[in-house]
Amino acid sequence: MLRLPDPKAVWGGTTVAVLAVLILLPIVLPSATLATEIVIFAMAALACNLLLGYGGLLSFGQGLFFGAGSYLASLAMIHGHLGLISALLVAIAAGAAIATAVGWLAIRRTGIYFVMLTLALAQMGYFLAYTLADWTGGDNGLLDVPRPPLALFGITLADLHGAGAYYAFVAALFFLVYIGARRVIDSPFGSTLVAIRENETRAAAVGFDTRHYKMLAFTLSGAVTALAGALYAMLINFVPLDNVAMQMSENIVIMTVIGGTGSLFGSLLGAGTFVLLGEILSAIWPRWPLLLGVGLILLVMFLRGGLWGGVESLLARRKEAAE
Amino acid sequence: MLNLYLFQILNGLGLGMIYFLISVGLTIIFGLLNFVNFAHGAFFMLGCYLCYSLLAATGQFWLALFVGPLAVAALAWGAEKILIRRVYHLPHTFHILITVGVALILQEGAIIIWGPIGKSIPMPDVLQGVVIMGKFAYPKYRLFLILFSAVIGFLLWLLLERTRFGALVRAGSESTEMVSLLGADIYKLFSLTFALGVGLAGLAGVLSGPIRGAHPFMGPEVLGIAFVVVVIGGMGSFGGALVGGLLIGLVQSLMTTIWPEGASLMIYGAMAAVILLRPYGLFGRA
Repeated sequence: MLRLPDPKAVWGGTTVAVLAVLILLPIVLPSATLATEIVIFAMAALACNLLLGYGGLLSFGQGLFFGAGSYLASLAMIHGHLGLISALLVAIAAGAAIATAVGWLAIRRTGIYFVMLTLALAQMGYFLAYTLADWTGGDNGLLDVPRPPLALFGITLADLHGAGAYYAFVAALFFLVYIGARRVIDSPFGSTLVAIRENETRAAAVGFDTRHYKMLAFTLSGAVTALAGALYAMLINFVPLDNVAMQMSENIVIMTVIGGTGSLFGSLLGAGTFVLLGEILSAIWPRWPLLLGVGLILLVMFLRGGLWGGVESLLARRKEAAE
Repeated sequence: MLNLYLFQILNGLGLGMIYFLISVGLTIIFGLLNFVNFAHGAFFMLGCYLCYSLLAATGQFWLALFVGPLAVAALAWGAEKILIRRVYHLPHTFHILITVGVALILQEGAIIIWGPIGKSIPMPDVLQGVVIMGKFAYPKYRLFLILFSAVIGFLLWLLLERTRFGALVRAGSESTEMVSLLGADIYKLFSLTFALGVGLAGLAGVLSGPIRGAHPFMGPEVLGIAFVVVVIGGMGSFGGALVGGLLIGLVQSLMTTIWPEGASLMIYGAMAAVILLRPYGLFGRA
């Protein structure tokens, strides 16, 4: 029997807030392109959050999946003349495959070794992209990435060249990913992941194959991150080598923790804050990452739950005061 | 042809000793403090720039070699006192975040002071030229690099194995609480160890300056290599850092003759191979 999702489970929690933000972003912001950038990075942060917030796995290699999605979708469009949907599917499949391989290697170790392995394997991807300059363009980046129209079975449904149309497409995809992630978290798989985060030894003792669960989480996260990478390449019509650099992995982790781990809405909040601050501050002072560094230190000192954690504790305090 | 390989093997030893100095610092800090310093690469970069500035200002390489690492260590000592020690009790994620913050500040600070374009550092006068051994000629500076880092490595080994400070560091790596209960000032020990470990990264930076120059964005690459070395050699192990560092240095250097574009890539290939065969590293225990 087909089990339909419980409407309360889908529409409860922060879903309405996410939808509201997605609708308001292009209205409030000066350009739809900026809004698109926020939503794309929110997708990458959400995938990182799935690992960190729910699985307790800090991956410092998300840039590898992001970059792989950018490169492979672009190459599939440039050399394979694939359409939009097929190119995005290529990115998702490649992201899932690479993440599975990285996960398979990195999950052999736990704790800090795991973090170091994800970083080192991502660096390997960076140097691979750098070495294969004939395909990736190396330091110059991969130029002339197209943005094909949305078409299904040869029928063109929408032209995405306009910034507004592309935003609508990306936002719709983000919403689907968000709903999917919610379903995953609320499923037995999600609960098991949280159990592993809380106490891996106990979860293993109860009989769960913890490595299998962690790897599956990695696969999912890699697929979503690569999708975000592919969408980003189509947004800027270009794949810079930076897409696969350590800075990208770092930025994705920073967005995730700024927003707050353990809440998917936090990822949207974190990506929005990061991209907007970057946009505003970099126009005033090119050395703005210095302020980001200071901000990170302050976050660790005073706001360990991230922005969403701050909002939650504020709400709790107000509720307490009201009672 | 044989000479070419001998040349690359010596180059690899020099590079490997630099990697050893960086990684052993990372490893000492982790062993005692159970803390991974993600700003380690940025402190290395600072060492390179201090080498540049001190050489440009005084022309004295020996002064740069002495003052540069000490200045980096002093900065690390201050950072430990003000920031780092406040987060020891938190999970690793916060250790990483706070040191990523420090690394960003150092990187952007370096751009503010020295500009976004890298600096090349001239060979010190005393160490210019080549040493001739029969038919074989080798740059003096690179030979000095190998010998000097070997001496530093030996002194470090003496410090860790033969002094009271070393005994405290080793005992603290086993049980911090016990050392503290026995009356040692554990916070002082932590500050000194952090400064020592980061100072070694600074020393590696000063030493590599005349060969590789200084660049504001070199931190991440160096951090990646240090991680490869400790993943291969095992964290908290002096011997592991030495063998891992030399192995990676040799792989990189020999690959430069065979496949120049892929030399950096092969470092990570070597790491992946080690992880496949021995998930806990060459010297690691499960």
